[in-house]
Amino acid sequence: MTGDIFTPLVMGVLLGGLYALIAMGLSMVFGVMRLINLAHGDLVILGSYLAYAVVTFLGLDPIVSLVICIPVMFGIGFAIQKYLMGRAFGISGEAPLIIAFGIALIIQNSNQILWTPLSRGLTTSYSLASFSLGQLQFPVSYLLDFIAAVIVMLALREFLVRTYLGKAITAASQNKRAALLMGINNNLVYGFAFAIAMVSAAIAGVFLGMTFPFTPTSGTQFLIIAFGVVIIGGLGSMFGTLVGGLILGICQTLAGTFLGPATQMLIVYVIVLVILAIRPQGLFGR
Amino acid sequence: MKALTQKLTTGWLLIIVVVVILVILPILNLPREWTLYCFLFLIYLAMSNMWNLLAGYTGLISLCQPAFLGIAGYMVAIGTWVGVPWWAGLIGGAAIAGIFAILISFPVFRLSGVYFAIGTLVVPEALRIIFYLWKPVGGELHGAGAGYMIKEIGDLSMAHIYWMALAVALISAIVLHVILKSKLGLGLASIRDNEKAAASCGVNTFRIKVYPFVIGAFITGLAGAIFYIYQGYIEPAATFNVKWTMIILLATVIGGLRTEGGPIIGTIIVVILYFLLARYAGFSLLIQGIILVVIMLISPQGIVGIVRKTRFYSYLERFATKRLI
Repeated sequence: MTGDIFTPLVMGVLLGGLYALIAMGLSMVFGVMRLINLAHGDLVILGSYLAYAVVTFLGLDPIVSLVICIPVMFGIGFAIQKYLMGRAFGISGEAPLIIAFGIALIIQNSNQILWTPLSRGLTTSYSLASFSLGQLQFPVSYLLDFIAAVIVMLALREFLVRTYLGKAITAASQNKRAALLMGINNNLVYGFAFAIAMVSAAIAGVFLGMTFPFTPTSGTQFLIIAFGVVIIGGLGSMFGTLVGGLILGICQTLAGTFLGPATQMLIVYVIVLVILAIRPQGLFGR
Repeated sequence: MKALTQKLTTGWLLIIVVVVILVILPILNLPREWTLYCFLFLIYLAMSNMWNLLAGYTGLISLCQPAFLGIAGYMVAIGTWVGVPWWAGLIGGAAIAGIFAILISFPVFRLSGVYFAIGTLVVPEALRIIFYLWKPVGGELHGAGAGYMIKEIGDLSMAHIYWMALAVALISAIVLHVILKSKLGLGLASIRDNEKAAASCGVNTFRIKVYPFVIGAFITGLAGAIFYIYQGYIEPAATFNVKWTMIILLATVIGGLRTEGGPIIGTIIVVILYFLLARYAGFSLLIQGIILVVIMLISPQGIVGIVRKTRFYSYLERFATKRLI
C-alpha cells in the first residue's frame, strides 16, 4: 500500500524538477520585463533540437553538447531582445505578445521543416537506466533533471545577488526609471536577462530531450506547464519556481496514478485556471 | 428615399457589387476550388472580425476562440446523432458557445493583459482532453479520439453551405460596424485606453467586456459549426488546436488590428498563402510568422496602416465617398 503512493510522489518530485527547469527562463523574463514570452516553450524545444543536432553530427554526449548549445542560445536570446522585443515594447501593449507569438510560429515551423514532424529523443546509455530506492525503481534521467534544476536555480540566484550584472537586472526589474538614474543601461540589461533566460531554456531543452520524446509542436504544452509553474510559484521568485514545479509535478503524477493517464495534463490546466481565478499573482507572489 | 440616395456613394456601390458577386459565385459554374477558397475566406473572415472586436477594439487578446468554434461544431455533430436537425444544432451550438463564454468570463476577466492571454490559451487545451474522454453517443467505434461524423446532411450541397458562410461573414461585419458606431463601442474604446479611468467614470467594465466576448463566441461558434458541416466530421485534436488561433490572429494582425478593413485584407492574404503553399504546410506558417513579426515592427496597424499613409489612400477615400446622384 505504501508503495502505491510512494512511487508517484517520488516521480512527481523528480518530474517537478524538470518543470521548474523549463519554467525558470519564463519566470526570469516575466519578472524582469513583465513579458509573457509566448515563444518560451518553442525556445526550449529549439534547445532540444540543437542538442539533437550536436549529438547526431558530432557524436557528443547530450550534456556535453551544452558547451555548444549554451552560447548559441545566448546569442539567439540577445538578438531576439535587441532586434525584436526591445522595439516591440515601444509600439504598444499587445505588440510584444503578438511578436512572441510570431517567433513561436517561426521556430515551430523551422523545426518542422528541418527535422520533420517525427518524434525525436536524446537517448544515452544512462538515460534509459534506472536506480533503486528501497524496493522501487526510478529512471536515472528523472534524477538528473532534478539535480540540474537545483543547480541552475542556485546558480541563477547567486548570479542575481552577487554579480554586478545580476544586481543590475534585479534593479531594472524593480524600478526601471530608478535603475536608469543609477546609470544602468536598461536595454543592455534586458538583452542579458533574455539571453540568460535562453541559457536556462537550452539546459531545460537538453534534459527535456533526455526524459521525454519531443516533436516540433511540443512547445505549446510545455509553455502551459511552465506558465502553471510560474503562476503557482509567483513571479520572478526562483525559489517559488522550484516549489511551483514540485507542486505541479506531484499533482500530475498523482492524477496519472489514481485517475488515469489521460487526466495528467487536464489536472495541470485545471490548476492553472483555478489559481489564475483565485490568486493571479501566485502563491508566493508579491 | 432621399436619405438613401444621399448615402449612395461609390464606396457603397463597390461593396454591393462585391457582395452580389459573392452571392452568385457558386451558381456561376466556376471551378470547384474557387468556391472552396471563397468559403474558407468567409469562415476565417467571420472569426477574424470577431477577434478584431476583442483584441483590437477592447484590448482583450483572447486565445480561446478554438473553444467556441469547437463547442459549436461538436453540438452540431452530436445533435445529428440523437436526431436533432443540423440547423437547430447550428443555432443551439452557437448559443451554447455563447453561454460557455459567459461561464469562463468569470475567471478570465479577473485577469488583464498577459494573464488574460494565457488564461484563455489554457481553455481549448483543457477542452481537447475533455472531448477525448467524453463520449456521449456512438458506442465503441465513434467518439473520443476518433471523433464524430455529421449525419444526415446529404441534402445540403456545397452551395448551401457556402451561402451560410457568406451570411455569417456579412453578419459579423455588420455587427462589428454597428457596435463601433454605438455607445457600446465608445465604452469598449475607453476600456482599451485606460480601464481604471473608465471604471472610475462609471463604466461597468465587467459587463461591457462580457458583451463582445459573448457576441464573439456566438458568431465564431456559428462560423466554426458551418466549417464542420462542410468538413463532415469533427475530432478533438484538430478542433481545439492552436492552428485556429494562429489563422485568426495572423489574418487580423497582418491586415490591420483596430481597422474595419484589416481582417478582410489579412484573410485574403492568409487564404492565398495557404493555397499557394498547401503542399508545404510548414513553409506557409513559417512565412506567415515572419510576415507577422515584420508587419508588427514596421506598421502596428498592419497593411491597412501602411496604405493609409500613402497618397493613394487619400485618392481612394475621395473616390469612395463621392456621391453618385
